[in-house]
Amino acid sequence: MSVGILLITHEGIGSAILAVATRLLRTLPLRTEVLEVPFEGDPDALLPLASAALRRVDGGQGVLVLTDLYGATPSNLAAKVARLGTPVRRVSALSLPMLLRVMNYAEEDLDELPMVAGAGARNGVIVDEA
Amino acid sequence: MIERELTVSNRLGLHARATAKLVQLLSAYRSTTTLTAKGREVNAKSIMGVMLLAAGQGTQVKLRVEGEDEDATAEAVCALFERRFDEDS
Repeated sequence: MSVGILLITHEGIGSAILAVATRLLRTLPLRTEVLEVPFEGDPDALLPLASAALRRVDGGQGVLVLTDLYGATPSNLAAKVARLGTPVRRVSALSLPMLLRVMNYAEEDLDELPMVAGAGARNGVIVDEA
Repeated sequence: MIERELTVSNRLGLHARATAKLVQLLSAYRSTTTLTAKGREVNAKSIMGVMLLAAGQGTQVKLRVEGEDEDATAEAVCALFERRFDEDS
């Protein structure tokens, strides 16, 4: 059993990052879905969609929800789905290095994966002075 | 411990797809594995680590493997480099 991954982002972000990660890794070791929130999206109206996506990726070990921008509507929606009963941990500032690191630590449980995701994002920032 | 000198010979170098392939290959082995290039040693089981080498075509890298399955690990990595990461075909 493993943790599910749900990307909740602004339009165009989550699907693009997931597409590249899938190209690089060929198959993703964790069940992953994307929910993109339109600019005019109403978080309350989107909650059933988010809830359905959450249930689809949950294999019983909980779901790591990755959002692109803390405090924005997608991350506020993520906060709402975290209160539905399924064990959820949330990390913001989704990036390709973050998602790749999470997939590289696919055997970790839900309590460990937020730190893995955070380290992935931080380690991905290289101020290139070479 | 096993050390091998390898050359990155595929056209695109250790780019993202090649790196992902290396890291996925190594996930099946238990040995501690590092790559050293341009004076920098990185964990070969970490995608960002290997990407940090920014190793283009022709770069010399030193493979260092230590652990119970170091022979098989080194052989698998050398084979992947020799196959040019299954690219350039």
